[in-house]
Amino acid sequence: MLKEMTLGKYCDTRSPLHRTDPRIKIVMYIIYLVALFMVKSPPALIIAAFVTLIQLVVAKIPLKVIRSTLMPIIPLAGFIFILNIFSIRDGEVLYTWHRIIITSEGIQKAILMAVRIILLILSTSVLLTLTTTPLKTSDALESLFAPLKVFKVPVHEMAMMMSIALRFIPTLSEETDKIMKAQVSRGADYDTGTVINRIKGYITVLIPLFVSSFKHAEELAVAMDARCYRGGTGRTKLNPLKIRKADIVAAVLLLLGAAAILVCEFISR
Amino acid sequence: MDHKDNTEELAVHIESVSFSYRSDDGSGTEMLKPALDDATIRIPEGSYVAILGPNGSGKSTLAKIIDLLEIPDKGSVTVLGINSKDEERFWDIRENCSYVFQNPDNQIVGTIVEEDVAFGPENIGVPNPELRERVDQALKYVGLTDYAKREAARLSGGQKQKLAIAGALAMKPRLLILDESTAMLDPISRDEFLGIVEKMHEERGITVVTITHDMTEASRCEYAYIIEKGKVTKSGRPSELFADTERIIRSGLELPVYASLTSEILRFQRMKATAEDLKDPSAACKRAAEAAAGNISFSAAELKESKQRTKVSDKIILSVKDLSYSYENSGNEKTIENINIDVRAGEILALTGHSGCGKTTLISHLNGLIRPQNGTVEVYADNNETLTTSRPKDIKRIRQKVGVVFQYPEYQLFAETVYQDIEYGLKQMGIEEGKRKEMILSAARSVGLDEALLDSSPFELSGGQKRRVAMAGVLVMKPEILVLDEPASGLDPRGRREMFALIEKLREKGTTIILVSHNMDEAACYADRICYMKAGRLLGIDTPETVFGNDRKTDIPMPLLHEFSMKVRNEICERLGATIDFGYVRRNAREEAKNILREVMRYKEDHHA
Repeated sequence: MLKEMTLGKYCDTRSPLHRTDPRIKIVMYIIYLVALFMVKSPPALIIAAFVTLIQLVVAKIPLKVIRSTLMPIIPLAGFIFILNIFSIRDGEVLYTWHRIIITSEGIQKAILMAVRIILLILSTSVLLTLTTTPLKTSDALESLFAPLKVFKVPVHEMAMMMSIALRFIPTLSEETDKIMKAQVSRGADYDTGTVINRIKGYITVLIPLFVSSFKHAEELAVAMDARCYRGGTGRTKLNPLKIRKADIVAAVLLLLGAAAILVCEFISR
Repeated sequence: MDHKDNTEELAVHIESVSFSYRSDDGSGTEMLKPALDDATIRIPEGSYVAILGPNGSGKSTLAKIIDLLEIPDKGSVTVLGINSKDEERFWDIRENCSYVFQNPDNQIVGTIVEEDVAFGPENIGVPNPELRERVDQALKYVGLTDYAKREAARLSGGQKQKLAIAGALAMKPRLLILDESTAMLDPISRDEFLGIVEKMHEERGITVVTITHDMTEASRCEYAYIIEKGKVTKSGRPSELFADTERIIRSGLELPVYASLTSEILRFQRMKATAEDLKDPSAACKRAAEAAAGNISFSAAELKESKQRTKVSDKIILSVKDLSYSYENSGNEKTIENINIDVRAGEILALTGHSGCGKTTLISHLNGLIRPQNGTVEVYADNNETLTTSRPKDIKRIRQKVGVVFQYPEYQLFAETVYQDIEYGLKQMGIEEGKRKEMILSAARSVGLDEALLDSSPFELSGGQKRRVAMAGVLVMKPEILVLDEPASGLDPRGRREMFALIEKLREKGTTIILVSHNMDEAACYADRICYMKAGRLLGIDTPETVFGNDRKTDIPMPLLHEFSMKVRNEICERLGATIDFGYVRRNAREEAKNILREVMRYKEDHHA
């Protein structure tokens, strides 16, 4: 149903991972982040790749989506690979040319680092952006940070701001489009000319957009007031976050996956 | 029902309320802008009341005061038996009043449809099985159940206002305030919206207060107040107000179509329409027919048709040929399909159809904002040269020749002064600085902008003035064809009249006008030709006389004037026991009244002599 969601490339396949409580996914994401950063040995890396693959299969993420998720980081992974291959001089020397020395250790490290960054991105995607709507993420953050309310951190207000920002992204992008069309009709040109002229040209879009955003904000505040909004206290929720049995099962399985990576890492050290 | 009866339970009682907005004039001194002056209204529980007035009359302020969104400087406010000064019960008032605003985008808080409906009840702490039930029922009531999990921002305008109503309904309010809630909707969505509101009023006894300047909407209410410059100047049943025609016009409003035609016919017959005559369309129809068929009191000279439509040349200035277009993400479905239009030099061509029929996509093709996927758009220059939007090098010249003013153009203003904003297009076109001033002044003059305003910031102007500035910004390039997308939307009746006077003036000066509108009455009144679009296809293009004539296609909606006039004509024929050919329906109520009376007179002359 949320196919049209603009942000975070949410991919709705209604898998068990989608239904898992977003708080569990956030906590697990942090655990996996730490685990992946600790991986230094090839066997552990293979286990990590295997665990991530299982997650992707369970989440029923289509290949096309995986590819488009990975595309943007291929250059970064490539850069890390090259940097490592040329800078590491330990181990057996395999090839030298002028000052360039490639060693076995270098190749191993380079592959490890590049694969690790790819796994990091995949794991973030499968646990968060692809399987959790932004709204649920904001709900989960509100719930996870709730203890901070004791220290007068405005947790509810921050979550509300985040969800209103999400709510207005499509509205504002539509407006940007309309304003640009109007200015182009008056002779504006946003595609050609020098960079400075193009940036200058965007003033004719940004100012009307700011003016209208302020108007949106002002009127929305009155509308929220009219709908009896008075902060987080005493508020109920239509879809409260609840931990079900399936969530606990998912949490245990995810924990086992993370544990497998770490155990393998410590054994092979 | 007598609305002055004090023994009745009052939902709203506002007594001698005054209110001023505070604003800073920039130098730090506080300025007071009075909005309400000693206003008193009494609205009984369970009634359906309209508050009428032109833009800027203070009617929205009054609505905000009812919901305690503004606190008056003077006077007392009692809502649902609770005095607004009673701080402990302040929230009781808000919980029982729901408010639907004009702009749907500025009242949706939730990202997902059902989350938004739940927002109000969540705020007042409705616990969960009940909360879920309230949300589901509210969505069902307004017919949005299938959309419950959709993203709210992606709904259409009409659906967003229904969502707002669902959000109100979930609060189980006793009082519903509509603050120009239908102003941004097309006629179909407007009817659906009012239908839901009226159902709530009837089934649940909810008191409805609607703020509007749409008189057809007002005629559906039980009682109405007219507000002018912050004062309540008149109140009564809508028909009582309509009977005082001059006052309605003087306060910047207008009569609903049925009342307007009836009053015109009666006026020629030296009679005055009473409140009873204008009670509802069917009473008015009987009265109008009775008056028209009765003894003749007018002189034939009075019935002379004032100016005919000016003859438009046959010269074609722009032509759209076999145009089809589909957006990337819409699959195979075409947004517009096989459109063919020849625009003639000097005409007003109305492009009509409901929201989502492809009008905006079509006009975006006219100046090359969208390049055609199939077909062409050709613009003919003076030296027999043909420019086409498919050729990139022609685009700049086409944009100069075809000016497009989009809906709510005031949202595109950006410059520090009005002068600079109007100048923008000229700069982009590379017109030398020396020549610009004269062009800017003449553009400002042609939209009726005072020269003194040229140095002020566009953001300080009123809504109507801003729109004029935006129009001047397009006119300054001296386009031969001007495309206007809903130029009158959001304006009050006086503003609309002024806008159309302006459009006719531009046409007289030789500009070809393409007028995009969903208001059939306005299209029939002002356009030389009308094209009607439905689901991306052009159903017909012809003069209003033919489009709405006897051989009309059934899927084209009729203007209200035509619909009502047909009823009056039938009634007259029945009364006289004759068949009279009244010809086509004239462009406005006065001309149509003359036409009807003229034909009745001719019939009588033929049959009595």
